[in-house]
Amino acid sequence: MEAETVIRVSGGGIRFRRNRRGRRSFKDLFAGSKRRSRPDEFWALRGVDVAVRAGEAIGVVGRNGQGKSTLLKLVAGVMLPDEGTVEVHGGVAPLIEITGGFVDDLTVRENLYLTAGLHGMTKAEIDARYDEIIDFAELRDFVGTPYKHLSSGMKVRLAFSVISRLEEPILLVDEVLAVGDKAFRDKCYARIDELLAGGRTLFFVSHNERDLKRFCTRGLYLDKGALVLDAPIGEVLDAYNRDYGSGSV
Amino acid sequence: MPLALSFVTTAPPPRPARSPAQVYRQSLWLLTSRDLKVRYATSFLGYVWSVLDPLVMAVIYWFVFTQIVDRTIGEDPYIVFLLAGLLPWMWFNGAVGDATRAFIKDAKLVRSTRIPRTVWVTRIALSKGIEFVAALPVIVIFAVIFGAAPTWGMLWLPVAIALQAVLTVGLGLIIAPLVVFFRDLERAVKLILRFLFYASPIIYGLSDLPGGLDVWASFNPLAGIISLYRASFFPDQLDARAVLIATVMSLVILAVGVLVFRRMERAVLKEV
Repeated sequence: MEAETVIRVSGGGIRFRRNRRGRRSFKDLFAGSKRRSRPDEFWALRGVDVAVRAGEAIGVVGRNGQGKSTLLKLVAGVMLPDEGTVEVHGGVAPLIEITGGFVDDLTVRENLYLTAGLHGMTKAEIDARYDEIIDFAELRDFVGTPYKHLSSGMKVRLAFSVISRLEEPILLVDEVLAVGDKAFRDKCYARIDELLAGGRTLFFVSHNERDLKRFCTRGLYLDKGALVLDAPIGEVLDAYNRDYGSGSV
Repeated sequence: MPLALSFVTTAPPPRPARSPAQVYRQSLWLLTSRDLKVRYATSFLGYVWSVLDPLVMAVIYWFVFTQIVDRTIGEDPYIVFLLAGLLPWMWFNGAVGDATRAFIKDAKLVRSTRIPRTVWVTRIALSKGIEFVAALPVIVIFAVIFGAAPTWGMLWLPVAIALQAVLTVGLGLIIAPLVVFFRDLERAVKLILRFLFYASPIIYGLSDLPGGLDVWASFNPLAGIISLYRASFFPDQLDARAVLIATVMSLVILAVGVLVFRRMERAVLKEV
């Protein structure tokens, strides 16, 4: 039985301006031309077609700046495509900029409720998972501590615990596993394994070949904003290494 | 008899789909209460500040216009007249001023969560609005002290609040995304707000303006809105024409705001 398609990107494209803060005229804003490409703009992604079925674990491979994170953000719905469509069925738990949503002056507990809530959990759902999240983050003694007083490792732990307990069918991971100490990283890996075993769909961006091989079955190779190869992860990594030399991915 | 071997495996219960309205309400409330919590967690006086600010200004203007110069503007008791204009102004000023940083301040959250984007604007109007409502008892206290009798005009209060909410949200929806691209706008807005303070009937009433000028002043939607607030104690301040213009203007501004916001949302997400 074919699992249903949960993510479908058809002809997806998004463009950015090349110079970071170029002038924009009011005329530009109301011109409303969706497709016209202005000279100072480039397509970070273009013509990407991907369909992901429920339960698949997908690794996204490519050099820096080739559109990996952008693809993830399109799937997360925090960016909108300029071309084509991105359909996502079911909720998304994005491990993207995970510590960004926390507020320095609020306590760990308040931050937990805020972030989980903003990612779509109801108060009752958070109540039910509160202990689990705190224990996973190993922050039992710090629930009343203002967030700004946590060490950076603690911050990441809290963030990972919250997002990975969102109970959403789709998990997006963007390079966050490189942080934290080894013990916690092992816990994170175990948690991701657990989620995968529970039938979650994984979208994984990493430069770490071992991680990619460990979690993913299918790979997407992005280069210059285009999807070059969509194949089993082993083949994708081979192709990538052939193009850009082996070793550090 | 062999035990019937039956077991049930449970998948994680499907999370009930929530309507867009529920999602909107939840994220709006989370961010609004976050704003208020942060304000009160970081300052010792908390609530007092949101009252003290307009109060100090009111006392200054009261002193200048009743003790130093002979006032011919406004109505008696002047301090109540002032507060009825200053408190709404604080809401307006705070909300529009903060709208300039709506995306910039929460850039990381905007980049990582998928909540409806207008929430970044509406929560500012809401949290400032809540502070405004919380400060209303101050007017009541001064009205009691100085013997200003409430009138049936008080029934206009909800209308005034609703109109002002429409206006501040509308302006926020225009300003917030534009500032992301034109940082200069942040300072321009501050300047315009300072001008608007004197251009709006706050320390004076619409009827104090010289003939002819009051018609033009009515096109400032704050004129009609403040006249509605003042009707609570000073029914003569109610200016039907100004209220009508304010209603139309506020709705038009909201419509423009929705349009601008929708147009720029995509670009804002890339830039933030």
